[in-house]
Amino acid sequence: MTLVLKQLFALLRLLNSDTGTNQIASGVACGLILGFAPMLSLQALLVFVCMFLFRIQIGAALTSAFFFALVAWVFDPVSHAVGSAILEAEALQPLFTTLYNMPLVPLTGFYNSVTMGAGIVSILLAPLVFVGSRRLIVTYRVTVVAQFKNSAWWKAWSGTTLFKWYSTYEKLHG
Amino acid sequence: MKSSTDKPAAGSPPVKKQGPIRFEAIIPLLIVTGLIVLYFLLFFDMHLRRGIEYSAELANGAEVNIGQLKTSLLDASVKISDVQMTNPDQPQRNRLQIGEIRFRMLWDALLRGKVMIDEAAVVDVQIDTPRKRAGRVLPPEPAKEDDGLSTTGKTLAQMKEAFSGNVVGDLAAIAAGANPAEQLQVTGEELKSTAYLDGLKKSQDEAEQQWRAQMEALPKGEDFTALRTRLSKVNLKDTKDIAQVQASLKELESIRTDFDAKSKPIGEAGKKLTGNMGELRSSFSRLDKVVHEDVLALQARMHLPSLDAGNLSRGLFGMDVLGQLQQARGYMNLARQYMPAKGAQNKATAKPVKIHKGHDYAFGRPKGYPAFWLRKALVTSRLPDGSGLSGEILDVATDQALVGRPMLATIKGDFPQQGISGIKAELVVDHRTSDPAERLMLEVGRYALAGRQLVNSPSVTLGFAKAAAATNFSAELRGEQVDMRLASRFSEVDFESAAPSTVVREMMAASTAGLDAVTLDARVSGSWSDLDWRISTNLADALTRGMSRYLQGKMDEARKRIEGLVNQRIGDQKNRLLARQGELESRFKSALAERQAQVDNLRADLDKARSQLEQRKNAVVDTQKQKLRQGSDKLLDKFRR
Repeated sequence: MTLVLKQLFALLRLLNSDTGTNQIASGVACGLILGFAPMLSLQALLVFVCMFLFRIQIGAALTSAFFFALVAWVFDPVSHAVGSAILEAEALQPLFTTLYNMPLVPLTGFYNSVTMGAGIVSILLAPLVFVGSRRLIVTYRVTVVAQFKNSAWWKAWSGTTLFKWYSTYEKLHG
Repeated sequence: MKSSTDKPAAGSPPVKKQGPIRFEAIIPLLIVTGLIVLYFLLFFDMHLRRGIEYSAELANGAEVNIGQLKTSLLDASVKISDVQMTNPDQPQRNRLQIGEIRFRMLWDALLRGKVMIDEAAVVDVQIDTPRKRAGRVLPPEPAKEDDGLSTTGKTLAQMKEAFSGNVVGDLAAIAAGANPAEQLQVTGEELKSTAYLDGLKKSQDEAEQQWRAQMEALPKGEDFTALRTRLSKVNLKDTKDIAQVQASLKELESIRTDFDAKSKPIGEAGKKLTGNMGELRSSFSRLDKVVHEDVLALQARMHLPSLDAGNLSRGLFGMDVLGQLQQARGYMNLARQYMPAKGAQNKATAKPVKIHKGHDYAFGRPKGYPAFWLRKALVTSRLPDGSGLSGEILDVATDQALVGRPMLATIKGDFPQQGISGIKAELVVDHRTSDPAERLMLEVGRYALAGRQLVNSPSVTLGFAKAAAATNFSAELRGEQVDMRLASRFSEVDFESAAPSTVVREMMAASTAGLDAVTLDARVSGSWSDLDWRISTNLADALTRGMSRYLQGKMDEARKRIEGLVNQRIGDQKNRLLARQGELESRFKSALAERQAQVDNLRADLDKARSQLEQRKNAVVDTQKQKLRQGSDKLLDKFRR
């Protein structure tokens, strides 16, 4: 829990700073895949391992996973239709038969219509979400953060002793 | 996460450039992995045991305890010890107790997301054992709106209602002096026959209206008079040459055509009227059947059962047979749900029940693993004296078509501590084809019964104080077809009966006197939506004989009174309708007969005229021929000279 909270605070800090755009965007893209995949599946585990091993913003990934899980739930009928179409494609039957009888691969649950449909949709959307979230983050920083920092309220607050003390603490301890 | 792979923030101290791999996360990752391993070592077994206990409790309807559960990750094995399933009807006892269940799964299958158990052992199986403390019993589930209350569900619910009536109790109440029909009041609204007669009246109204319109549309007397006038003008006698005869014939043909056109509807109407009136008449004859139904319904309302052996057999053992059938159906549904027949999976594709769960496709291939496969389970329960239970369960698989073998479970032995011996059971679940079939045969050589109640009503109770029973049960379910047979023998029977009335006590004692063995034979067959029930028992025969001496007079009297009440209620209406029926028939038949007579007369005249003209024509032709012959003779004579 501490790790998650720390990551969430880090996400807020990163969002409001000028750095970490790629980390956040990759986190959002990972969150998309995570949110669309079943919680207990091989692909979810792989995404988690990637999140830990690579410099991906975990807070962004977990927050967006929660959001995308809701989206995925709403679009389950669509995922089911897409997945059914793919799983019933005659040309792919030999491939699926091989995968189904291979070790580990069935643990992805690819043979389930909703899992297959949501998986394909999330993989296709992941690059778009990465690029789109990068742009959104930049736009956010230019419009919202810049305006907020120029506001009289923020200037008054940043001039207080408490804020200065906190800034010093932040620089020292991170 | 202060650092970034992007450019450093302006004004912030320079930070060390970090690569895309988070090396500093390796230690936390190892710690997390260690914690997971620790969880599996210390807590997983306990949580799994609790989970299984909870699920089993829901399925059993009462507390289920598991003494110990041990899993091993390395050899994928599970060992469950001391399983106790509380009997919901007797919480102080277990319905089933299993000493140990152990099995090992194949890692090869687990890595493919499948569960494959090569051999399992179920050791020390016992039934009806005492518990150290009473088990918790779950409250009964609220009655669900069975949407599927499919035709089958409805049929079984109807049978339940029919069998749950207390036939013997009702009869005893009559024997004790009650006359249920005495206070009976019958109103017209509650009788089917009143509604039936209303329907008949409506049909009569419609028939009258229809026939009135039809009679109006039929050719009238004037039409036939006009044809007769035309006929009178036809020259029948004074024709001088063939041309005149031909003209008369032509006119006659024209009259005949018009006549046919007009007379045909009258003939057809006659036939139709006979048919319609016949239908209405037969509706009256069906009234007797409806009246009989009303009488039966009132008898049921008044708890006045019919005193026949079949009815008593159903009252005594119907619920038992129904219970066994429902149990068989429940197991059948479970088997068909978890071991779907070949082709049933494809049906699910068309319309998944739960869209958020999707549909699982199977891409199995010969010698592949189904999602679950228990190849063999050995069931044993040995007592020190060598007696006990043994059996095996083979090929429990979620995809029998892939496995290529049906599920087979056999068991035989005794439970001497419970006084049960000669158990032989065989269950075959064959779902390899699209036509699922289940067969169960169960034979119990001997088991003891005590305090088994057959009748429980305020007027009388009847049951076996003790008896030794033997049962032979078989059920074959194939698709939607059922064939279930039950043959039970209760010997060394000690009847137990009580009643507030001395007459009833005497009657029950007299009925069961000398009956030291009771037989029950039942067969339920047909399709689930239309079942044929045959239940017979010698106890019902004995009760029928014994009770009829006391009851027949009272029953006949009560039945007669009910019949009288129904007939009185509908009598006036029935007579009115019968009279109207006669009036309608005679009215329309006489009107039609009058027109038919005109038709017949005119037809006869037309036939006569035709015959006259034919004769005339022949005479004219003969004369002409004669003249021609004479002329030709003269010419020949002239040539000869």
